[in-house]
Amino acid sequence: MARNSEEWKKTPDFPSTHYVDTSIYTDEGIFRDEQEKIFNKCWIIACHESEVPNAFDYRTFNHPGGAPLIVVRGEDMKVRSFYNICPHRGNTLLYEPVGNAKRITCIFHAWSFNAHGDCIDISREKAGYQDRFSCDKAGLREVKTDIGYGGFVWVNPDDECITLKEFVGDAMGLLDEHLSEPMEVFHYHKAIVDTNYKLWHDTNSEFYHDYMHYFNRITGMIQPGYFDRKYTGYPNGHASVGSMAIKYDAYEGSKKRGVGWPGLAPGGWVLIYMFPGMTYNLRTSVLRMDTAIPIGANKLLIEFRGLGLKSDTPEQRAERVRDHNQIWGPFGRNLHEDLLGVHGQGLAMRERTDSKWVIHGREENMTIHDEGGMRHFYAEWSRRMGRLANAPFDEKATVTV
Amino acid sequence: MESRQKTEELIYQSSLAMDAGNFTGFLALCDEKFHYAITTYSPEIRKEMVWLEHDRDGMKTLFANLPKHNSDHSPLSRHVTIYLVEEQEPGLTAKVTSALQVFRTTLDGGTTELFAVGKMIDVVQLSADGPKLLDRNIRLETRMLGFGSHIPF
Repeated sequence: MARNSEEWKKTPDFPSTHYVDTSIYTDEGIFRDEQEKIFNKCWIIACHESEVPNAFDYRTFNHPGGAPLIVVRGEDMKVRSFYNICPHRGNTLLYEPVGNAKRITCIFHAWSFNAHGDCIDISREKAGYQDRFSCDKAGLREVKTDIGYGGFVWVNPDDECITLKEFVGDAMGLLDEHLSEPMEVFHYHKAIVDTNYKLWHDTNSEFYHDYMHYFNRITGMIQPGYFDRKYTGYPNGHASVGSMAIKYDAYEGSKKRGVGWPGLAPGGWVLIYMFPGMTYNLRTSVLRMDTAIPIGANKLLIEFRGLGLKSDTPEQRAERVRDHNQIWGPFGRNLHEDLLGVHGQGLAMRERTDSKWVIHGREENMTIHDEGGMRHFYAEWSRRMGRLANAPFDEKATVTV
Repeated sequence: MESRQKTEELIYQSSLAMDAGNFTGFLALCDEKFHYAITTYSPEIRKEMVWLEHDRDGMKTLFANLPKHNSDHSPLSRHVTIYLVEEQEPGLTAKVTSALQVFRTTLDGGTTELFAVGKMIDVVQLSADGPKLLDRNIRLETRMLGFGSHIPF
């Protein structure tokens, strides 16, 4: 039966953990709070080590907490990260997304920095500053950096943060054995969608939306083992989903996957969701990594990477590229559908549309259509934000998760 | 001269067929050995990338599967300007280099936005029966495609 205004806004008849208020997806104030309390406190993937293979190679990254970053490999082959901001007049130091710079020199007034973040030259330093200011006070702002879990470069702007290992904990258990060989990024693209980052992470974190994907219904949902896949939650908001054998040749024009992945059963598929917005998606022959980088409450940039093995022959690589593109490329069957889905959510939930609740109420013993993965995420979100996801503006509400 | 005109018409007809969603008509313009690719270069990872690649049968299957998928149905308009027609093997094949702009028009309201720019590099099979598309490489400059597309350019 259709509902009137009062019924539409009535609190859903579920436990409070099983629904959220849609203002958490649309409110700019909450988004600013998330930047401070979540993105600037958590470890975030900035790039892959294969993108900076040589000494002095750099890669820029717009951190979702707000700061533009440079990831650079030093002559000691250690990878460090710094704000991409000149400490002099606040200019951008490196304009191109990638390059090699023995000296990082600001184009504005030619202040120079090395790959350790030290200021090594201030043009006409003595003439302008006499003895009042010098290079030793003009270093770049360093951001904690670590490499791990498949060779990804992780950054954390919080000087007091826990280690990457503590942040990840046991969450990578299902993938650890599959990430031992050196990998290489062969696909990279970005998409900007008018939606909230959590909606994208939700989409990655639930399989009930396989109803949207013809490809997944045919190759997965109607195949044995699909409903046995289980979610597992881990501390810090991470989660995983176990594997099954996908029947790729059930989709017309598709074939059984030939190349495979070390240690992964043929047609295997493992997902790890890293809080607050990164997903490891190892599917038969390709590792996809998405990184959600919110730009605003209802604007999201997603970085998509496809990775193969560094040891690939040209033939193996070509097959991985084909496997990747069929589902996940910008012209792939599933990615377009996933992005349309969250675009539609962004349209329907934008401020003043009178959207009110999103329900995460499915309970199926934490199997594939259970919405426990999202509930696990929002428990962590509430803990970090000090707000309940179902009552984000209720100052009397106590976060007890 | 006549051959060049027919070659140019083939390129324009192929775009008109795709714009109209006339995929059967598009395939009728393609040789049995037709190969299609969308490629681009990523300055971010410093690598050539292939984003879509099919032979004629693969394209046929892709088109046939479209109704089974959830897709954005905003019409695409391909604006093609032929720059060069170069005979590769005289009387047998010609390489055609065109500028390509793809516009997307919303169904609700009809707002048109530029979706992608690039080059379209075709190899055309010439014969007495008329030219056929042998190879098409959509060489994109644009890499930010929003929610993407199920329909090739």
